[in-house]
Amino acid sequence: MSWTAACLFVVLATTNPAYKTLVLAAALAALVAGAGFRRTRRLLVAATVVAAVAVVLNLVSAHVGETVLFTLPTDLPAVGGPYTLEALVYGATGGVTVAAAILAAAPLSLLLESHEVMDALPAVLSRTGAAIAASLNLVPAVGATFVQVSEAQRMRGWRPRGPRSWAEVAIPVVLTSVESSIQLAESMEARGFGSGPRTHMSPVRMSSRDWVLVIASASAVVLFAISIAAGWARPWAAYPLLTAPPVDPRPLVACLLLFTPALQWRSRT
Amino acid sequence: MAIAHLDHFSYWYPGASRPALRDVSTWIEPGLTVVAGPSGSGKSTLLRVFNGLVPHFHGGRVSGGAIVADLDVIATPTRVLARSTGFVFQDPELQTVYATVDREVAFGLENAAVPQGVIAARVRDALGEVGIEHLAGRAVRTLSGGERQRVALASALAVRPRLVVLDEPTSQLDPEGAELVLEAARRATADGRAVIVSEHRLERLMPDAGMLLAVDRGRLTEADPAEWRPAASPHAPSRQAPGPEAWRVSGATVGFDGVPVLEDVDLAGCSGEVIALAGPNGGGKTTLLRLIAGLATPMSGTVTRRPGRIAYLPQNPAALLHRPSVRAEVQFTIDRAGEEVSEKPERILGMLGLADLADRYPRDLSSGERQRAAIAAVLAGVPRLVLLDEPTRGMDLEARAALIAVVADLRDRGAAVVIATHDQDLRSALADRVVDVARGRVTERAEQAVQA
Repeated sequence: MSWTAACLFVVLATTNPAYKTLVLAAALAALVAGAGFRRTRRLLVAATVVAAVAVVLNLVSAHVGETVLFTLPTDLPAVGGPYTLEALVYGATGGVTVAAAILAAAPLSLLLESHEVMDALPAVLSRTGAAIAASLNLVPAVGATFVQVSEAQRMRGWRPRGPRSWAEVAIPVVLTSVESSIQLAESMEARGFGSGPRTHMSPVRMSSRDWVLVIASASAVVLFAISIAAGWARPWAAYPLLTAPPVDPRPLVACLLLFTPALQWRSRT
Repeated sequence: MAIAHLDHFSYWYPGASRPALRDVSTWIEPGLTVVAGPSGSGKSTLLRVFNGLVPHFHGGRVSGGAIVADLDVIATPTRVLARSTGFVFQDPELQTVYATVDREVAFGLENAAVPQGVIAARVRDALGEVGIEHLAGRAVRTLSGGERQRVALASALAVRPRLVVLDEPTSQLDPEGAELVLEAARRATADGRAVIVSEHRLERLMPDAGMLLAVDRGRLTEADPAEWRPAASPHAPSRQAPGPEAWRVSGATVGFDGVPVLEDVDLAGCSGEVIALAGPNGGGKTTLLRLIAGLATPMSGTVTRRPGRIAYLPQNPAALLHRPSVRAEVQFTIDRAGEEVSEKPERILGMLGLADLADRYPRDLSSGERQRAAIAAVLAGVPRLVLLDEPTRGMDLEARAALIAVVADLRDRGAAVVIATHDQDLRSALADRVVDVARGRVTERAEQAVQA
């Protein structure tokens, strides 16, 4: 959890694509080392699709920058105008950010049981943690509902014909998911959730490996924060003309510390 | 001494002009109380009064009084009442917070701030009380529905409440799972505890019941369980001889991610014929239905079907509902079907007893009514192949009889029907043939076994 928080801190604190890409690589390496490629395949595809959408959206909507790749007639609504290398790279940076965040958060559901997430949180976050744990349990149900609804709607004559047609699948899935969430909330209320301070069935026992990971993650956050404050991790902008992102060894070390779980989990498996 | 008392209690959901509960008065004594009534009668609403979910969670207006374990329900939040009232919901999947059994059972104890050193023993006791000590440490997702409901009951008992409420706890379960849950509920009446169970299949509970509460249109009537008699099982109109072959599965193996679920399946069905698929939860019935429907691609072998529309009812048909009214939901299917003679939605709505609910928003209906609305939406028109996955889940006797009539009508109009079901009454009423699906194999029962 501390490692996830560290990854999110670094990837969101900087505009520099070099550091963001390193965080993405660290998250990818950790996830594959911990869960294996087969279990993470779908997530990787989803993260790639989300990242690609970010790239395309920025390329199509931001017609700024000096390096024009091609131009569509300006009388074309929404998509007309110059398409620039700067917009492409800026979109890619956004895509890397989103993908890194998804992959960094994934171990919380792929590698940990929900009660482990819950137990690891400090007492002040206990109620939030229980809510997170419960919501993690709903994720597989949403996937199953999507499959069930799309199949049944297809049998009723539905065919995927453009974005609007997907509403006939998406609406039941969303409504069912919302109802499931409400039912779960009702169940949690009925079991006394939120009635006051909570206790835990078993205390968290940290191994030496866990401490190494916590220390590495905390060091990464501290070092990167200092790097930003000291100007070693300078901001980067794609516009107006693309330049290479500046790289300093000190924030670079902070990013490399995030590869710690990849090394730990690989040796474990 | 009574554990709970409702005194002229009435309740209106937010925005409703008619009360969901009308002037309800009753005393709940230790022992087993059974709550019965048709879908949409107010059973679930009544049960939620006992832990304050009505009105605290659902909002709305109340009049009258409600006392549970000496606490005023109107003035006490549900999360506090939770220490006196344990509650088990219908759907085992939507009440699980943690991923492992012992942690799940401990959730209520943690919320009640029970000291850490005591929790493990209380969890052990609760698991023992419902007969699932052996499941401690197991991942909840690996359990059957019956096991999950017993985990939910153990979770409720672990807090040592004076009252335990079970809202149709067996509606999603196969007969074996249902029997184990009800047996655990019967045993939970020990130690002077009161247990309230809402059920459609009363025959399993009535021998142990101390009181029967009949709910109808929000009104409550107390009855003597000794005077209760089971209703006659519904029967379909007499069947005609089956027509030509409508579908065939030949030497098919089907599964997920390269792992076979069913192997070497040979099965065929005819127009005007009803085949029932029997077998335990997880045996492969749904997979076989999806194979016949063309939703699952066989790893080997072939599936053939005569041309014509397929009506497919998934296990949770209510998940389909997305139109503004029940009528619009049915019309949606009729419009998409493009059949030569398109029928009016009123026909199937009338057959399923939904005429009065035709203009209601489907997701505002009770779970049983919603189930019927989804069935009407799927079965409207004249499908040539009808595939139903557990269609009677949570249905009362009247609704089951209506469903049987609808399926018999489709059969007599030439549809080939395949039903995956645990419901013995449904099988007896409709099935020409019964096929067991278990442990990856499909086996047809002998004719005399079908009649049994």
